[in-house]
Amino acid sequence: MAKTEEILERLKQCVLKGDDQGAVSAANDAVASGIDPDKAIMEGLVAGMGEAGALYEQGEYYVPELMVSSEALYAGLAILQPLVLSKGTNTKKGVVIIGAVQGDVHDIGKNLVKLMLQVGGFEVHDLGRDVDMEKFVEEGQRLKADLICMSALMTTTMIAIKDVMPTLRAKVPTAKILIGGAPLNQKIADAWGADGYGESAMDAVKVAQRLMKCAV
Amino acid sequence: MMRDTMTSAERMGAVMKGEKPDRVPVIPFIFGHCALVAGQPLACVFDNPEASFKVQLQAAELYGYDGTPLYAYASAGGWEFGGDVEFPYKKYSGATVVTRHPAATEEEALNLKVPEDITKAGALPLALEMARLQMKHHMPVTMHIGSILSWTGSVIGEERMLTWMIRKPELVHSVLDKVAQFQVKVAEHYVKEFGPEPIMAFVGAATESNRLISPKQFETFVLPYVSRVNQSISDLGVQVFFAHICGEQNKNLKLWQKVPFGKRAVMSFGREVCLKTAMEMFPNSIIAGNVDPSLIQEGKPEEVLDQARECIEMAKYHPGGYVLMSGCDVPPLAPPVNVFQLIKASREFGRY
Repeated sequence: MAKTEEILERLKQCVLKGDDQGAVSAANDAVASGIDPDKAIMEGLVAGMGEAGALYEQGEYYVPELMVSSEALYAGLAILQPLVLSKGTNTKKGVVIIGAVQGDVHDIGKNLVKLMLQVGGFEVHDLGRDVDMEKFVEEGQRLKADLICMSALMTTTMIAIKDVMPTLRAKVPTAKILIGGAPLNQKIADAWGADGYGESAMDAVKVAQRLMKCAV
Repeated sequence: MMRDTMTSAERMGAVMKGEKPDRVPVIPFIFGHCALVAGQPLACVFDNPEASFKVQLQAAELYGYDGTPLYAYASAGGWEFGGDVEFPYKKYSGATVVTRHPAATEEEALNLKVPEDITKAGALPLALEMARLQMKHHMPVTMHIGSILSWTGSVIGEERMLTWMIRKPELVHSVLDKVAQFQVKVAEHYVKEFGPEPIMAFVGAATESNRLISPKQFETFVLPYVSRVNQSISDLGVQVFFAHICGEQNKNLKLWQKVPFGKRAVMSFGREVCLKTAMEMFPNSIIAGNVDPSLIQEGKPEEVLDQARECIEMAKYHPGGYVLMSGCDVPPLAPPVNVFQLIKASREFGRY
């Protein structure tokens, strides 16, 4: 058990410090030690990312630190996630589509939200950036999305969210809609009929959790 | 509502000289919006200097505001160093975007060259055409030379640059250095063609936001380079700077205080920085801002008027001078009646 705890702590610290090579080594050790891959992911890698997110909220970490932490998390996931999938025990908490809206090429925040939702057990379909608004509707319908996340980082692109909202509500009526990005705020989100607004990437993940009524 | 007793040029001239104008000047901070109210494609603001000059003048006449036309775009840098861009002709596109970053790999970053002929680099031919129009019409010649970090992010790719800040800081410094060299070369050309007196150096600092980087990262990756560039520009004789300190930058303000901004600076701030704080931190600079552009887009006219009034009441008597502005680029589709509230506020509440 002591060795299990030690390896889980190593996974966590490697993500926290952005040590991707260390994360791979720790992940391999987890496999070799017979640690349940799901446990290694959640209590090691995701715990580390959660702590990185908390440090961001406290103003200790900034986006560069989150970027390298996410690289380390992905490096460890590359080893562990195939093992979870092969066990067939991976149950998804919901289907999410996420993208930066039409005309908008800023996707750092969107990528962080995507990562946290993925490791939190959601099936995340990333539409990328500069996404045609019709695609949010089409993919929402095709995938029967539970959550549609749209980000806009420019005052010039945010209006795309307002324009697509009636169509999304009509054609994907069961999906929750979460929006985020610097020019947006809660008042605008309420006025446009979104179900949730994330003030930051980390905040968006918490809002997604609340909307989906489950822990991420 | 008061009648103006000065022309726009007189009003702005008074503020720039530290004298009292008839009322608070207004520069809404609109680019794409100018094209749309003139019935022209939004992209013309970015790819057609003559049309851009015309629609910006027409918008100023329509609304009665005090800014003069200028050429700038937020994602500058990448194209200038050999990348590719796309002009905003697609629906919802509001600005020029970089579609290929010229230093997207470590090898490309190491081999990056400072463009030899700045007059042919990226948007410089367009910017210079605008500058010649400004000069011909006795307006300030705006020279877009930053921000250093936004331009470097455009060269490398913003997400990649932020990651390299930790993984490969030497590469980021290498590109920052080359961008700084380029910006000084641009300034040298502008001074050679127009002389230093009419030039206003424009710095748009968005990537420096504390939503992205820490004050420590600002100190490491921004301060030495922006200081170097600005000092070089001042040494060439350019006296006037306009710095748009975009977004959440409260933790950077003490560091921005250390950056040289010539003899006379206009410092504009987004909603995130309280005007009172800006006034305290930059007592000798003209402070500009900071009506929320999202409010101008989505709010009721009376809400916009009220927020503009609050801004005026807070900053009107700033010793360095004050200009009422939006906190950032107003969305192109903002209702014109909302944009007008800024001018209305100046006339109702901004009289000296």
